[in-house]
Amino acid sequence: MRTRVLAAATGIALLLAAAPAIAHHSFSAEFDASKPFKLSGVVTKVEWQNPHTIFYLDVTDERTKKVTNWGFEMGSPNGLMRNGWTRNTLKIGDMVTVEGSLARDGSPYGNARAVVLASTGKRLFAASSQTEVQ
Amino acid sequence: MRLMRIAIASSVIVIAALWTADAQGPATQRTAEPAPRFADGTPNLGRVPGEKGVWDVPYIQNMGLRIPGPDGKTAAERGPAPSESGGRGGGKAEPDVPFLPWARGIYDYNSKNNSKYDPEGFCLPPGGPRLMATPYPMEIIQQPEHKRIFMVFEGATHIWREIYMDGRPHPQGDSLNPTYLGHSVGHWDHDTLVVDVAGFNENTWLDYYGHPHTDLLHVVERFRRLNKGTLHYEALIDDPGAYSKPWTVAWNIPWSADGELTEYICQENNRYLQKLTDDFGQSVISGR
Repeated sequence: MRTRVLAAATGIALLLAAAPAIAHHSFSAEFDASKPFKLSGVVTKVEWQNPHTIFYLDVTDERTKKVTNWGFEMGSPNGLMRNGWTRNTLKIGDMVTVEGSLARDGSPYGNARAVVLASTGKRLFAASSQTEVQ
Repeated sequence: MRLMRIAIASSVIVIAALWTADAQGPATQRTAEPAPRFADGTPNLGRVPGEKGVWDVPYIQNMGLRIPGPDGKTAAERGPAPSESGGRGGGKAEPDVPFLPWARGIYDYNSKNNSKYDPEGFCLPPGGPRLMATPYPMEIIQQPEHKRIFMVFEGATHIWREIYMDGRPHPQGDSLNPTYLGHSVGHWDHDTLVVDVAGFNENTWLDYYGHPHTDLLHVVERFRRLNKGTLHYEALIDDPGAYSKPWTVAWNIPWSADGELTEYICQENNRYLQKLTDDFGQSVISGR
């Protein structure tokens, strides 16, 4: 029990250490924080580039079986590396679950806040700019 | 509904936690060692030999909330502002910012469209106090033998600034070429590095929220290393083109003891710019 509390406290401390998130452009002009998403799929492409790392997932609709290729924006490679990522953390073919906020323009695009790798269950903070603190 | 309540409660907790972290600076408590000094007693605003370290510049989005009041505290230090839950309030929510009418109009416009046209979104550098508010690491390198100080910024588009410590004045008239970062001359006032900056162009905003400025902007910055882990930053914003009187903003910048600068080339793959549309829905770059 004590370990669990400690683990939770460490988790919160890590989250705080990660803040402030790396910001490059207006989050709220492009994404809608009131439209959260959680999507799972297979990685098809990773753009490990500045100012934002973008990766793409083939997401299959459970009902219609239709496959849509989604793009997800994270922080810069530097911001991600400071949060424990490397350029090989996500590889083509990996199964992942992504949480974040949808793009305002309705396209299959979102800002990723956290990424969970299906193989390890590891939850990775995505150095997102979704932290509208002043 | 229950979920929404939980979500709102969690957001409040996160915002409160972030606010606490920002206002008190966890690094401040960890590293209460005195500020390092050079042999002649001058404060060292950078690393000591044999150690790493960078200044972990905080994400200050709205300088209207960073104006110290009569008690010395800023609105951000007193607590989360009401506008954080209810969206942006524009100029009327910031009675302490002495806007001229046109500047207030521009600010309201930037507030309404969520900073859509923020020059930093174009990978252009911040100018003035926003250099100390764009959340990427920064180093201060003093070269007393050359009578100059460099500030090197990883983010804020990978730039540096040079502060002349040799007593020279700002160039006058047309010799003062307007630039993004302006012309910086500095001196020591006891333990405080005072930097006077003039000669800004008009291509930057003062902050992410979009407080505007003109090329009449004159900034007086004060850097004081309170202890090894904390740099106190203060900036007087004096711009008679946009504000009816000078106003001052202030915050602390924590030291990250194991940090180092790394490469950050913002222009590499800037999708934001590629997707940006104007108020009429037209692509901002396709017409070029």
